[in-house]
Amino acid sequence: MRSTFMGLETNKRGLFTQQTALYTTGHNISNANTLGYSRQRVNMQATPGFPTAGLNQPTYPGHLGTGVEAGSIQRIRDQFIDRQYRQETNKLGYWDSAAKSIAQMEDIMAEPSEFGINQSFTDFWKAMEDVIDNPKDSAARQVLISKGKSIADSFNYMDRQLKQIQGNIGNEISVSTDKVNSILKQIAAINKQIQEVEPSGYVPNDLYDARDSLVDELNEYIPVSISLQKTGGLAKDVAEGSMTITYVPGDGSTPIKLVDGKEYAALATMDTNNQRVDGEVDEQATGGFYNFSEIKISAIGEPPGDPATGPYTIDYSQMDQGKGSLRALIDAYGHSGGQGTYPEMLANLDKLANEFITKFNDVHKAGFGLDNSTGLDFFSGTTARDFKVVITDPKQVAVSDTTGEEGNNQNMRKLAELQTQAQANLKQGTFQSYYKSLVGDLAVKGQEAERSAFNSATLHLQISSNRDSVSSVSLDEEMTNMITFQQAYNANARMITVVDETLDKIINGMGRVGL
Amino acid sequence: MRVTQSMLSSNMLRNLNTSYSKMSKYQNMLDSGSKISRPSDDPVVAVKGMGYRIDLDKNQQYQRNIRDANTWLDTTDESLDQVGAALKRVKELIIQAATDTTTTDDRQKINAEMQQIKEQLRDIANTKVGENYIFSGTHTNLPLYTDSTGPQNPAITPAGGQKSIDINIFDGISMNVNTPGADLFKDIDGFMTNINTLLQSGAPAAEIGDTLGLQTTSGGTTIPGLDGIYENTLTVRADVGARQNRVELMENRLGIQEVNVTKQLSLNEDTDYAKTITDMVTQDSIHQAALSVGAKIIQQTLVDFIR
Repeated sequence: MRSTFMGLETNKRGLFTQQTALYTTGHNISNANTLGYSRQRVNMQATPGFPTAGLNQPTYPGHLGTGVEAGSIQRIRDQFIDRQYRQETNKLGYWDSAAKSIAQMEDIMAEPSEFGINQSFTDFWKAMEDVIDNPKDSAARQVLISKGKSIADSFNYMDRQLKQIQGNIGNEISVSTDKVNSILKQIAAINKQIQEVEPSGYVPNDLYDARDSLVDELNEYIPVSISLQKTGGLAKDVAEGSMTITYVPGDGSTPIKLVDGKEYAALATMDTNNQRVDGEVDEQATGGFYNFSEIKISAIGEPPGDPATGPYTIDYSQMDQGKGSLRALIDAYGHSGGQGTYPEMLANLDKLANEFITKFNDVHKAGFGLDNSTGLDFFSGTTARDFKVVITDPKQVAVSDTTGEEGNNQNMRKLAELQTQAQANLKQGTFQSYYKSLVGDLAVKGQEAERSAFNSATLHLQISSNRDSVSSVSLDEEMTNMITFQQAYNANARMITVVDETLDKIINGMGRVGL
Repeated sequence: MRVTQSMLSSNMLRNLNTSYSKMSKYQNMLDSGSKISRPSDDPVVAVKGMGYRIDLDKNQQYQRNIRDANTWLDTTDESLDQVGAALKRVKELIIQAATDTTTTDDRQKINAEMQQIKEQLRDIANTKVGENYIFSGTHTNLPLYTDSTGPQNPAITPAGGQKSIDINIFDGISMNVNTPGADLFKDIDGFMTNINTLLQSGAPAAEIGDTLGLQTTSGGTTIPGLDGIYENTLTVRADVGARQNRVELMENRLGIQEVNVTKQLSLNEDTDYAKTITDMVTQDSIHQAALSVGAKIIQQTLVDFIR
């Protein structure tokens, strides 16, 4: 026999459940603009019917429903889209960062322009031609020396500026590594909270969202793979459990755990001198930096040990190409014995400077100045950094190829011809065409990075849109739900009134015949 | 597909962003007048632009060199013209002196004029362009004659005195702009000295007349007759004239090349204003449309209709 008050109980459950749904709708609306928030849904389920199975169950002409309960509150999210999103985040992080570091280099090279190295070469050549026209004019000679200085200055300036930016990139590597470490720590902390809550049967949707946002952010820096471990106890089916994050080296060697439960690892980016890459000048004489050699990773722990002592390492070849901004920064900063955008450009400028200095001096030494001086160097130095003009007296510029002939310009003509001569050490190009090819290469790289960044951003937006399609809050939908739940709540309340009236009839109206 | 407000707004944001970056690019193109602001905008344009700049600068420098060459050659031509005129006068005077009716007094007057002409010729031999003596070979700071009577400047070495001064007038093309005049002026000066001696010594008219055509030997060196010297001067002047022609041709070529390269440079990297402004206006109207549509879509939700 059913209870007298069963109707009240059924509808009370209805009231509570609709209220839960209504509040969840409110939560969704409140978080409509929260980054990384996934809309939540109350999974309603009917409560077991009456009577329940049992030995002394009453005979009953059917299974009478007993109402509804909120089985769980679940966030709506698609793990596959998350995966795609993070893969695209890797690429976007890489190309964005690569495009930025190349753009900075382009800003310094400032080509085509009326003041770059290209122009200073041309200006120097023009000054030489003026000296050829007026070999004994000391003003023309003085101009030549000044233009020589301006070539040297251009090289010096470029060397310093490029190294300064290389230093900034080194600093960014260090900051990025710190950021990765901080994210790993935060994920482990969220894991810990989740592990504490889930066994009691709760589903901490908002913690999952926070954790997923952190994983998204982590993927901007380095590509990681994730897996979920179910928590024990009374954990619900929809509970996601603790997240394990591993770094999978590109060469197929053993994956390295970065986060496991509440324990996490720390990373350190090391240079060839086994010091952390920090953007501080390593070689004072040249203002240069040691290349990146490897990322060192500590064993997981809470807190982890000093990453600088290992035990795990990932060298450049083990990193995934084109994934994550850390890799892009390392590609720009330099790795594996002087490879990388900045060290290569610096080395090429050094090569150009050295070749120019040597070739120019060789010819200059053979000539004679107005004061019959001979065998003098015009330039000194072997690199872009120590490129200098050593001639100070205009008389000592070796214009003539014979002593004592003031009007003789033969040696200067040979010097001017250097400008158009192919240099065996510079890929058979002239000084200027070699420089032109450097700028051309850089431009092509920059264009590729720029385009790839744009394409990645487009794809990223597409996937982000797919993810929003699944997870983001639609106000129209929530409003519709709100009305649905509100009306359901009202209807339940009405049912309670009906039951109340029937009870009133039984209690106050029965047995009072004739009254 | 389920579409939500945040999708609309992030889509719109991205599109507006793209639209802004396009407009900023057009604005940059219009402001700077250049299609590209950094090499990666268009590597080919950038590298070509660098090449054209070199070409243009070279062209301008060669034109400047040619102006110098012209100054040298024009001055040389002018000087040789004066030499020719002086020699013509010498010839007249010799013919006058070689007439038997000319008195000794007259010959002395002729001789005085000859003296002046001799000095004038020495002055011509010391002609300068700027600070450069043009007939002294590569010894451009040394005059051929240091005084009005002595021999040629001993500081000018035979090798240096004959050397040409070359100026580059194009890639790999050079031209000697000077005319070593030591030999020519030596002959002229020797001849003049000879005449002076003859006139002073009161030589017979026939002997004076002979100097026009005959070689004379004086102090071991052979001096050609006046006609021979005149011939030599003309030959040298013809050479200068030929070089002037060459320079002129090259000047014309460089002028044409400058126009071409400037045009190429402009075609390569200058903004096409008509096109860019049209693009900009089009982009602007798209932008306006995006903004107004965005504003309409985003503000409306069911919230606005539930009362």
